[in-house]
Amino acid sequence: MIRRMKVILTGLGLSLVLVSASGYAQDRAQQPPSYTPTATPSEKLPDWSGAWQMMGGTVFDAATQTGKGGAIDLGVREHPPYNAEWEALYQRNLEKRDQNRFPDVFTNCGVPASYPRVFNLPDPYEFVIRPEQVWILAENGPNVMRIYTDGRKHLDEPWGTYTGDSVGHWEGDTLVFTTIGLKGNRDGDSILDRTGLVLSDQSRGTTRIRKIDANTLEVVMTLEDSKALTKPWAVTKRFRKLPQGTRLYDYGCAENNRNPVDEKSGKTLLLGPDGKPLND
Amino acid sequence: MKSLYKMVLVLAIAALLFSIQPAVAHHSGAGFDSSRVVEVKGTVKEFQFKNPHTWIQVLVDDGTGKITEWSLEWGSPNSLGRQGYRPSTFPPGAKVIMRLNPMRNGAPAGGFIAAKFEDGTTIGRWDDKVGPSAAAP
Repeated sequence: MIRRMKVILTGLGLSLVLVSASGYAQDRAQQPPSYTPTATPSEKLPDWSGAWQMMGGTVFDAATQTGKGGAIDLGVREHPPYNAEWEALYQRNLEKRDQNRFPDVFTNCGVPASYPRVFNLPDPYEFVIRPEQVWILAENGPNVMRIYTDGRKHLDEPWGTYTGDSVGHWEGDTLVFTTIGLKGNRDGDSILDRTGLVLSDQSRGTTRIRKIDANTLEVVMTLEDSKALTKPWAVTKRFRKLPQGTRLYDYGCAENNRNPVDEKSGKTLLLGPDGKPLND
Repeated sequence: MKSLYKMVLVLAIAALLFSIQPAVAHHSGAGFDSSRVVEVKGTVKEFQFKNPHTWIQVLVDDGTGKITEWSLEWGSPNSLGRQGYRPSTFPPGAKVIMRLNPMRNGAPAGGFIAAKFEDGTTIGRWDDKVGPSAAAP
């Protein structure tokens, strides 16, 4: 009897060890695709140093803009190659904009600018080039865009994030990168501008950045979206170099935000000195 | 005019001349009426030199002893700092005349346009040729 018990207990113990080992071996965590890191020699990289300012207003695609004024002016809209469903959604957003009920997702502070809006912000930028990656630093937000140029591949199954997953390479003095894994407007907290332009969680982009003269950087984005667009949508943004010595600062959006959004109405409030809304 | 704070209703063209954009970098400026320019005279209570927007708090006496605190929204401290403005630009206690795009509902707030101090120095797009022409709300 005792011997039989020992055999049973030994068997159970062995089973536990095997189950545990097999559980470890079968862990479902995925590792990024392996790659051999590369680096572009510094002497082959262009000089994008200094501070830069986006040119023009924050209407995302001025080339297709109709109506006069900025993104919050009545009648102003853009014309991306939306399909009927997303054109209807844009129309609804425009109506809300006209009623001051399409709050900017930034207004409550806390969410980053998404790609491609990260190239549509009003305050200065820095474009930091390293041999293995590029960092685009936007004071507004603040926001950071990371582009890996060390030969790595995209994540095999990226989950939706605001700025997605960007990998690229250099073609002479032009940085070329693709961006995937974008959440788009999936959660209602990612827009392209205040007219109400949005893209879906199937959006992706190919971006080319180059210096077109000593004081101008050009960013050309070709956006694709199998849910929202009928064809690729090319948008160009340009940035002018700011004077030598220009400083950038931190940007604590929540430091003194007197313009929270009312959750019920979607209206952007203006708080008085007592903290109560002045525009109820 | 009985009131110490005066309202300036200027033609749209004047508003265009005065309007500055940095005040709306973080949120929509639709709550302000950019077609109208209001002028108030008062004393600086506080200059909130903080992100995402600076706010100038001004105490305005309506002439009967009733004090109203006005809130004037300006650009981000970052943007203004690059233009040379500092927290000391509006020292507490300074007597100022402020021009602003008012709230559409008449509340004591608006988008800052320009200011004139007692010594005649100005800030922003002050233009003496554009004067007051309407009563305060």
